[in-house]
Amino acid sequence: MAVQKLEISPVGRVEGDLDVRVDIEDGYVVNAWTKAELFRGFEVILRGKDPQAGLIVTPRICGICGASHLSCASWALDTAWGTEVPRNAILARNLGQLVETIQSHPRHFYALYAIDLTNKKYKNSPFYEEACKRFSAFTGTSYEIAITTSAKPVELYALFGGQWPHSSYMVPGGVMCAPTLTDVTRGWGIMEYFRTNWLEPVWLGCSLERYEQIQTYEDFLEWLDESPNHANSDLGFYWRMGLDIGLDKYGAGPGKYLTWGYLPHEDKYQKPTIEGRNAAVIMKGGVYDSFTDTHQMVDHTFTRENTSHAWYEEGTADVHPFDRTTVPKEINTGDYEGKYSWSTAVSHKDLGRMEVGSLARQLVAGGKHGESWQHYDGLVLDMFKKMGGPSIHLREFARMHESVKLYREVERCLREFKLNDPWYIKPTEKDGRGWGGTEASRGALCHWVEVEGGKIKNYQVIAPTTWNVGPRDGNHTRGPIEDALIGIPIEDPTNPVEVGHVARSFDSCLVCTVHAHDAKTGKELARFRTN
Amino acid sequence: MANVLWLQGGACSGNTISFLNAEEPTLVDLITDFGINILWHPSLGLELGDDLQQLLQDCVSGKIPVDILVFEGTVVNAPKGSGEWNRFAGRPMKDWLADLSKVAAFVVAVGDCATYGGIPAMEPNPSESVGLQFLKRKEGGSLGTDYRSQAGLPVINIPGCPAHPDWISQILVAVATGRVGDITLDEFHRPETFFRSFTQTGCTRNMHFSYKASTQDFGQRTGCLFYDMGCRGPMTHSSCNRILWNRVSSKTRAGMPCLGCTEPEFPFHDLKPGTVFKTQTVMGVPKELPPGINKKDYALLTVVAKDTSPSWASDDFFTV
Repeated sequence: MAVQKLEISPVGRVEGDLDVRVDIEDGYVVNAWTKAELFRGFEVILRGKDPQAGLIVTPRICGICGASHLSCASWALDTAWGTEVPRNAILARNLGQLVETIQSHPRHFYALYAIDLTNKKYKNSPFYEEACKRFSAFTGTSYEIAITTSAKPVELYALFGGQWPHSSYMVPGGVMCAPTLTDVTRGWGIMEYFRTNWLEPVWLGCSLERYEQIQTYEDFLEWLDESPNHANSDLGFYWRMGLDIGLDKYGAGPGKYLTWGYLPHEDKYQKPTIEGRNAAVIMKGGVYDSFTDTHQMVDHTFTRENTSHAWYEEGTADVHPFDRTTVPKEINTGDYEGKYSWSTAVSHKDLGRMEVGSLARQLVAGGKHGESWQHYDGLVLDMFKKMGGPSIHLREFARMHESVKLYREVERCLREFKLNDPWYIKPTEKDGRGWGGTEASRGALCHWVEVEGGKIKNYQVIAPTTWNVGPRDGNHTRGPIEDALIGIPIEDPTNPVEVGHVARSFDSCLVCTVHAHDAKTGKELARFRTN
Repeated sequence: MANVLWLQGGACSGNTISFLNAEEPTLVDLITDFGINILWHPSLGLELGDDLQQLLQDCVSGKIPVDILVFEGTVVNAPKGSGEWNRFAGRPMKDWLADLSKVAAFVVAVGDCATYGGIPAMEPNPSESVGLQFLKRKEGGSLGTDYRSQAGLPVINIPGCPAHPDWISQILVAVATGRVGDITLDEFHRPETFFRSFTQTGCTRNMHFSYKASTQDFGQRTGCLFYDMGCRGPMTHSSCNRILWNRVSSKTRAGMPCLGCTEPEFPFHDLKPGTVFKTQTVMGVPKELPPGINKKDYALLTVVAKDTSPSWASDDFFTV
């Protein structure tokens, strides 16, 4: 049978403009290309600006992960300036990151992902009618309640930051706010509302406490069978339907995973340094290689970018982000043998292409590496091993699984604030280099900044989607989503919902895959080395 | 029934995600109770690929009526006016916009990028971005000064970075419920109902503003952010302190200086060194004064206000 070429422009319900080409043979994808089709050039905009400009500009890279960008931007400056960040401020920054992610998970599941379960492809599934009832866009019973209650967690962000999205309340040396008792008590009330109106009754069908008892795959299956409330909750229902329609059978990806770790502990990162970060974060960072079943620590110096297949003219070598010259290719014609995306190909210098996101975070959380006090959770790793590795289904489960533990972290922040202690310690501005990392809801995010002569000399961002949606690299290795598309069944080329499942399970966010250059002059950006 | 088509150019989705927070009405209420039919939206739409391209063609040909075209993000013209750096559904987004704006009854620009060019259009504007009918203060933008929609209106601009969700949903409701006649627009085509008063209107720090009591630094529970921290609340038109954000607060209430994001110059001073979170002053007097007041009167007021400043003005006012 001849190879059929299918061009999908655009794949909707991802953030930004994603085009995909897949080659289909005998009903299965044999080759795939992901193309990022928008370019704005944020990093060049930042050059020469006030050192704190990143606090205002980078949240606007992505309106969905604004708190994540703000976290990176502020921690990057903290490390560059050598600030002291008071305990309350660490908690207040973590709180912002947490509520943004908690808000994002249901919006991702219902608005972007689960709608596809109502696709006509599944009309013969015994779950189809119920899926339409719950998940149909705008009118689904769960859709409405989830979209509405998902706005609640970010009300806490507004209490501390003024508004969400796009506040810049995190600044080097702490935060701008000085919350009062009412802010904290209102915060409790809002989170309780979220828990008792969606998280427990709609999503879990049980209490947080009951869900937290699930430690292994067997525990999860036992939970599923224990009560109709569990089996018929949105989680239970989704789990069963996903297996019925085979979402556990495809969309694997590269099998190697990376997370920077996030949420610095309030007592361990008051004098932030790049070197001290790994040992100071509550959710540990690391790399998981499923082929050797090993975990190891991560370091930003391992990052490499390659532009062989991206619209830049910078040769074919792997470079650290700090060493990029960033020369754009003005004529961005798509050439599948050559250059076809604005996204660069990002890799780990020793392990190659990596998947980032909730699945990566949860597989790393199951590792025994890191500090003894850091968060450990073996559930997703256990499922991964017992279900035969990664899939769309497990990726989505990992994403939603985080909601409960992040909710607990919010509770902890609210408990730990000491209202009469400082929120901000005025730093001294100086020149230097900094790095700030976090985990946006959709994966590893980090900023590199260099301040020279009181202004930004170089600003570099590598966003989660840059890792996931990148094109082929210098070795012609496919990017993680390209890889995840290989082998997927395409039942009906006029309705390639399977491609949508894969792209959406990664929660791609194309608006973040930014890189800098000067379009007007094509001028090279300053280089600088990390050693 | 009003058909809404929502597209994104050089966007961050911030207005979309802000819109999802709408409370009065909620997004779902808009659709189920007000007869808004979202033909397609990048984050919410069902169609992909060829199906979507067909839908867009049907809109352009008039087969499917577009009552409201909502545009979020800048109009990208790079490289060299071609728009190829923002391709969507097989062609430059600016070409889709040009075609669709000819058939839409109303066109609404949501957020700063679509209104003025916003952050992507900051110097050196690598993506050659413009807004729909403005580039910062300059008229014209992508569609031209004389552009009028099928209903005879220019682009309705809802600026803000992001726009407040209620600003978006209430304009949609006004159109859907036949109240377009009540929408009056200012010189930047902003609905006056939201953008006549100032961001400062309703700010909880107004007493401190009156007595010239300044917040000296971040993390304090007193003072006004205008004098030292670079707050643009008195010079910015928005309802941020009248219709609160996320039901609960606003930047200035939480201790963050207003950045003036509903105004065409945002981000002000192009964020040059020394301009971020710092009031620009001459001899200790703010360079920019609240509109409608002259320097001499302001100086007089300052002296009097400081002299009459009450004893509590520098204490923790918003106490734990």
